[in-house]
Amino acid sequence: MAILVIAEHNNVALAAATLNTVAAAQQIGGDIHLLVAGNGCGALSETAAQVAGVSKVLLADNAAFAHQLPENLAPLVAELVCGTSPAAYSHVLAAATTTGKNVLPRVAALLDVDQISEIVKVESPDTFQRPIYAGNAIATVQSSASVKVITVRSTGFDAVAGEGGSAVIEAIAAGTDAGISAFVGEELAKSERPELTAAKVVISGGRGMQNGDNFQLLYQLADKLGAAVGASRAAVDAGFVPNDLQVGQTGKIVAPQLYIAVGISGAIQHLAGMKDSKVIVAINKDEEAPIFQVADYGLVGDLFDAVPELAGAING
Amino acid sequence: MLAALTGFAQGTFASRVEVAGDQVNVTREIDGGLQTVALKLPAIVTTDLRLNEPRYASLPNIMKAKKKPLDVLTPDALGVSTASTVKILKVEAPAARSAGIKVKSVAELVEKLKNEAKVI
Repeated sequence: MAILVIAEHNNVALAAATLNTVAAAQQIGGDIHLLVAGNGCGALSETAAQVAGVSKVLLADNAAFAHQLPENLAPLVAELVCGTSPAAYSHVLAAATTTGKNVLPRVAALLDVDQISEIVKVESPDTFQRPIYAGNAIATVQSSASVKVITVRSTGFDAVAGEGGSAVIEAIAAGTDAGISAFVGEELAKSERPELTAAKVVISGGRGMQNGDNFQLLYQLADKLGAAVGASRAAVDAGFVPNDLQVGQTGKIVAPQLYIAVGISGAIQHLAGMKDSKVIVAINKDEEAPIFQVADYGLVGDLFDAVPELAGAING
Repeated sequence: MLAALTGFAQGTFASRVEVAGDQVNVTREIDGGLQTVALKLPAIVTTDLRLNEPRYASLPNIMKAKKKPLDVLTPDALGVSTASTVKILKVEAPAARSAGIKVKSVAELVEKLKNEAKVI
């Protein structure tokens, strides 16, 4: 039994979530093959070969895969899985990121199986746990599909080591450009701070921040803690910050060691995105705010006093 | 999935859609920012929260809609199987978080974070 993990990358470096996905594959058990499909990613495949637990790296180098467009990538994956008889793989895994969620349903449809989305725990090779109803319930599901197509929520699994492994690299005949889609461009938010979903510390601001300029307060504190900055939907909808900072049911799901919620009341949709954090600190002037019901440490007070004071205290 | 079965192009998490000739430019919300892809029509687009304002049905239209004919199709008539390969074994509540303590001051908070939780 072999497991195919689709690596997420930018042709230069692997995305952190890939390591969590490999960890999930290890729990399922079996040979783990990592598919690196990209353009000019020979060096990347060598990095990928170092990932602990991976036995083989499949390298598909073709301009068609440069941006991992699902129209081109999904047929390649389907061909790898079902090109031989019996099927070469029992499981296909990818991280439940916007890239994984873009590609994998297309793969599942080509294979004519049901996809199992956002698993947080592996119970056995065919039984998994996944959150439903915005994380308010955990469903244990069993799949009888011949090939299990699974997206993995990265916060549910501890990442494997990015080095120490020694997988063989096998170049595979690259696919073709389906010609129905093309990459035009992208605008990536540049940030010196760690990525939201991978950060050890996350500081989020809500409607209580009042305007976008006040987020500077959080950035100053974040720089001292080496933290990422997030926001609640209220803050994003009000235009304080770009929407890739949104933490919650429809935004990013985070599970840092320390989560500091500043001026966030704690709507259930926001809690769904951060309640797996290890320690939660809430700073809010409304002591009735629901955020205090999940916070390990709550501070009732004006954030415009508390945040600078906190930054000062951490410095000293 | 629909896009794969029909062989059409797909644009998921769309925050902006522009049709230009026989193709559509879709701006997608991805983890690090925005990505724009050009798709040949016909294409399948799934939308994100902030694409537009939904067009709500007005009461007169709801009344009119009641008079429209309804076509009822069954999976059998279409010759497809809707059997799922996924079985739900059980559903349980996630581990609940209990409310923690309230601290009085920033100094106390920092002290707790340093010594009790050991996260900073």
